[in-house]
Amino acid sequence: MEKQSKTWLWVIGILVVVGVVYLVMTLNSSTPATNESASKGENGPIKIGVIAPLTGDAAAYGEPLQKVIALAVEEINNAGGLGGRMFQFTYEDGKCNGKDGANAMQKLVNIDKVKVVIGGFCSSESLAAVPIATANKVVLFSGGSSSPDLTNVSSYFLRDYPSDAAQGKVLAEIAYGDKKWRKVVFIQEQLDYPLGIFKAFSSNFERLGGQTSKEEFTEGTTDFRSQLTKLRGLKPDALFIDTQTPAAAERIFKQLTELKWKVPLLVSDAVTGDPAVVEKNATILEGALAAEFGTDPNNATFKHLLEAYKQKHNVDVPYQSYAQTMYDAVYIVRDGIKAVGYDGEKLALWSRTIKDWKGASGLVTIGSDGDRVSGHIGKVIKKGKVEVYGM
Amino acid sequence: MDLIMQFIINSLIAGATYTLVTLGFNLVYGATKFVNMFHGVLAAVGGYTVFFFTQTIGIDLWVSIIVGIIGAGLVGFLADRFIFSTLRIKKASNLVMFIASLGAFIVLQAVLAMVFTSQFQSIVHSVDSPRVYEIGSAAITHIQLLIIITALFSSFGLVLLLRFTMFGKAVKAISDDEEVAKIIGIDTNKIIGYVFFIGSAIAGIAGILIGFDTGIQPTMGLAILLEGATASIIGGIGNLYGGIAGSFLLGFVENFGIWKIPSEWKGAITFSVLIIFLIFRPQGIFKK
Repeated sequence: MEKQSKTWLWVIGILVVVGVVYLVMTLNSSTPATNESASKGENGPIKIGVIAPLTGDAAAYGEPLQKVIALAVEEINNAGGLGGRMFQFTYEDGKCNGKDGANAMQKLVNIDKVKVVIGGFCSSESLAAVPIATANKVVLFSGGSSSPDLTNVSSYFLRDYPSDAAQGKVLAEIAYGDKKWRKVVFIQEQLDYPLGIFKAFSSNFERLGGQTSKEEFTEGTTDFRSQLTKLRGLKPDALFIDTQTPAAAERIFKQLTELKWKVPLLVSDAVTGDPAVVEKNATILEGALAAEFGTDPNNATFKHLLEAYKQKHNVDVPYQSYAQTMYDAVYIVRDGIKAVGYDGEKLALWSRTIKDWKGASGLVTIGSDGDRVSGHIGKVIKKGKVEVYGM
Repeated sequence: MDLIMQFIINSLIAGATYTLVTLGFNLVYGATKFVNMFHGVLAAVGGYTVFFFTQTIGIDLWVSIIVGIIGAGLVGFLADRFIFSTLRIKKASNLVMFIASLGAFIVLQAVLAMVFTSQFQSIVHSVDSPRVYEIGSAAITHIQLLIIITALFSSFGLVLLLRFTMFGKAVKAISDDEEVAKIIGIDTNKIIGYVFFIGSAIAGIAGILIGFDTGIQPTMGLAILLEGATASIIGGIGNLYGGIAGSFLLGFVENFGIWKIPSEWKGAITFSVLIIFLIFRPQGIFKK
């Protein structure tokens, strides 16, 4: 008898749990319907999605950039929004990888029913989100993805951060033309971003008549001695240290110094983007070449961004070259909706007409391939500081 | 010729590093007969202890190194007391021990990442002035030379300890048959505890030296362990001499291998050698 009542207790318990779960799920799924009507309604907020890395290593970029976007949105809404309608941004965590980037995009498109998404930040997020954006006729606007694989990837994708192809091209031209180097060797990390830079550099450098070769290493490698020894044996004119993060580059700097190999260096903007690393490795980096998508301290909008951010958060804006493009992306989206309305198809067409749009990152022009036209400029490291090349 | 000398030096450094990992790994395997994954994270414990004491607290380097070695030894010893010996008493299979050690590895690695962040850290501050000795046109740093010397001395010391002391004889007895060792009056649990302490302390030494040479990261343990375990299997798992021979063989094959083929194949070379040994000589270079 006691056993039977226990069984009943179990059955009732399970039914209660199932009931609660069902209720919660129904409540949740009813939320998008309200959102949808809110977005479509004449007076409701205009909903925009954001995909950025908010957890993990790359949250170092994502968190401050979320604040930059929030700052721009606040400014727009304080000025009365768009015809009295406020902007409402929904942030999703793309975790700097394709899987979570795609999940975030699915959620924004299917549940939040947005027509414009700012993101992804990492190239892997954007690459995974583009097919979903295209299939659902939603505009995907990245302020940070730089992989050359995103060039001309879809008519629904655009970016105001330039492609790495520009970085490789600028460096190849300086290396061949100015420096008269004919053989450049690479030590390259096996990831999308360093690979993009290698491809862009080698195709341009070889087209000019130069010669490149490379040794690759996997993420997390700590011993580069034999790779460096082998590259040294090729007697190159210069060595390109092509890593995803400054940490990997620093390990290579250390072993390069230990091997007593003195060779002109080229580095990617992963290194020059971190002033502390440049300063710490000033000796080995003296004279090293880089190409950066820089900032213009005299630009009034950029100056305003720096001041407003500092006033609100009491710290300087980190990763300023990305902050300026993120900030501009929000305003460009506003102008787009103002011009053609909240419609993915129309916004996609409009995006290709953006020409000399004036923002914090200078004049923005989007080419027919969705890329920002112009961008990286040559830089050189002198006494631990990154300066414009040839100045 | 210049290149060959540098490749030989690079191979010796790699071989010596693997040796420091295999010594403790083989010692523990010999006594307990399970693949102790936890061994890898002990290297990180050694490295981070020195990092914490020198950079955060500011204690003298040599004192920190001694604390680091003893610290790694103690963590290994405590892991045995609280996890592995309990499982041994319950007659857990080697597979269960392996999974438990993997679990403990992941937990401790996560703790290190929480305390010290996942960022790559350098125990030494300056990258500009390492002491470098030149042999012809090849170069070796002071710390790399120290890795090779430490590996040789640790190997020699461990061999002497196991050959000429009562402790060594007890370890051999346990390694041959734990039950028989118990019957003849050896306190096997105590001896295995000591084995864990010594093996883990050597892993700590490896971690500290690697930390000085290239730097530390919470996840450094797995890569170190994989190389060390591969060297152990090549040499003959559980056999100290085999571990040393396997380590240097692996160091040379890896470094000379990438001389002629692209370096992204380095990992593939390592595991190809392992597979060749597993198929054609599963007992390794030296049979235990």
